[in-house]
Amino acid sequence: MIGALDMGAAPREHGSPALIDQLLRNRDAIVARIVAGKDLMTITRTMIATIAITMAIVGAALGSYRGGIQIGYAAIKLPLVLIGTAALSAPALTAIGAALGRRSRLTADLALVITSLAYGALLLVACTPLILLGRAIDLTYHQMILSTVAMFSVAGVASLRLVTRALSAETGPGRGSAIFGLCVVFALVGGQLAWSLRPYLLRPRTPEVPFLRETEGSLADAISGAIRSARGIYTRDSAPLGD
Amino acid sequence: MSARAEPLPYYPRGPALALAALGPVAIGAIMAIRAESASPILAVPAVVFGVVAATSPALYIATAATGTAPPLGAVVRAFGVALGAFGIALAGLLLPAAFLALSSIDTVMTFAAASAAVAAAAFLGLRRLASELVSSSKDPFPGATVIKPSLTSSTVFFVWAAATIGIAGRLWWDLASEVLS
Repeated sequence: MIGALDMGAAPREHGSPALIDQLLRNRDAIVARIVAGKDLMTITRTMIATIAITMAIVGAALGSYRGGIQIGYAAIKLPLVLIGTAALSAPALTAIGAALGRRSRLTADLALVITSLAYGALLLVACTPLILLGRAIDLTYHQMILSTVAMFSVAGVASLRLVTRALSAETGPGRGSAIFGLCVVFALVGGQLAWSLRPYLLRPRTPEVPFLRETEGSLADAISGAIRSARGIYTRDSAPLGD
Repeated sequence: MSARAEPLPYYPRGPALALAALGPVAIGAIMAIRAESASPILAVPAVVFGVVAATSPALYIATAATGTAPPLGAVVRAFGVALGAFGIALAGLLLPAAFLALSSIDTVMTFAAASAAVAAAAFLGLRRLASELVSSSKDPFPGATVIKPSLTSSTVFFVWAAATIGIAGRLWWDLASEVLS
């Protein structure tokens, strides 16, 4: 693709690599295509595939901290978190806007949310070397957790920024409330879905690797607990030990 | 005199009202699953529609008495549009609310998620009602007197909205006490 551009040839507008390249280099153009309702199915399909592949890579990298079957488990679960978040959040964006008179366009809103998440996923896959570096320099489990939260926060903010930029370009009623509503739903649903499908990152000495953990407490409790543990304040005597 | 402008809705009115009728039932079902009692399935729609039915005439009477009311037909229509907006908003928030409510082990979280969804949809419905009433006042049917939005009409609306929210909040809290106990 880059070679083709260098030679002065016109880029392929509908190819998946061209769409991903456009998402990285010229987000305004891809947003304009979504707003205009052009190639929505192609864009959605490409972005879902992008999320599936990139988040599987990120999941595998996180799973490598423990190793073994956890690499596969995390590679399966992380793409589900993002795609599930999009599926649950996009109808809220459409509905809140429609209630206040914004034009109702579920397909375009779904494409926009999926595209913004694909952008976040691409940023995260770019962080994969940092995850592997953390493993290489033997960061502690809690340091790894906090680094991961920081990376995902940056990607999440970038994703939301892309959505808000697209919606800000619209005119008419219901735009502001739709943006606010989406941000709230996005954060709550994304956080809870990620929490429900954990673990992704496990201590290397963890004896048994569960695909899903039993539901316990809330996401907010877990974050404050991780911060306390990173500061050396523990609420239990020891972490689970291997045989 | 120009023809009456068709205000905003980009959704079909019938399905939107059907969603308004079914949304509270679905929210009640979410709470019923956690409460292990069927009563919220009836109680939630009863609170929502009971409060609207009990307080909506008061808005028309108050605005008419202060000389700021659009024609009765326009007010009825505005309520229909606002209920439709409530239904559409609740339909969009239903999936996230159901997910948040049912993926948690905490009854309080279930109640908080259901309450937040209904409250957000109600807030959007109220906003839509306000904009529809303003639009009806500015551009009523041919031959009708044009009423400009005023401080009086805004005050009447806000007092009515506060009273409606207060009554609904109290009834909702009573329902919560039953679900959480």
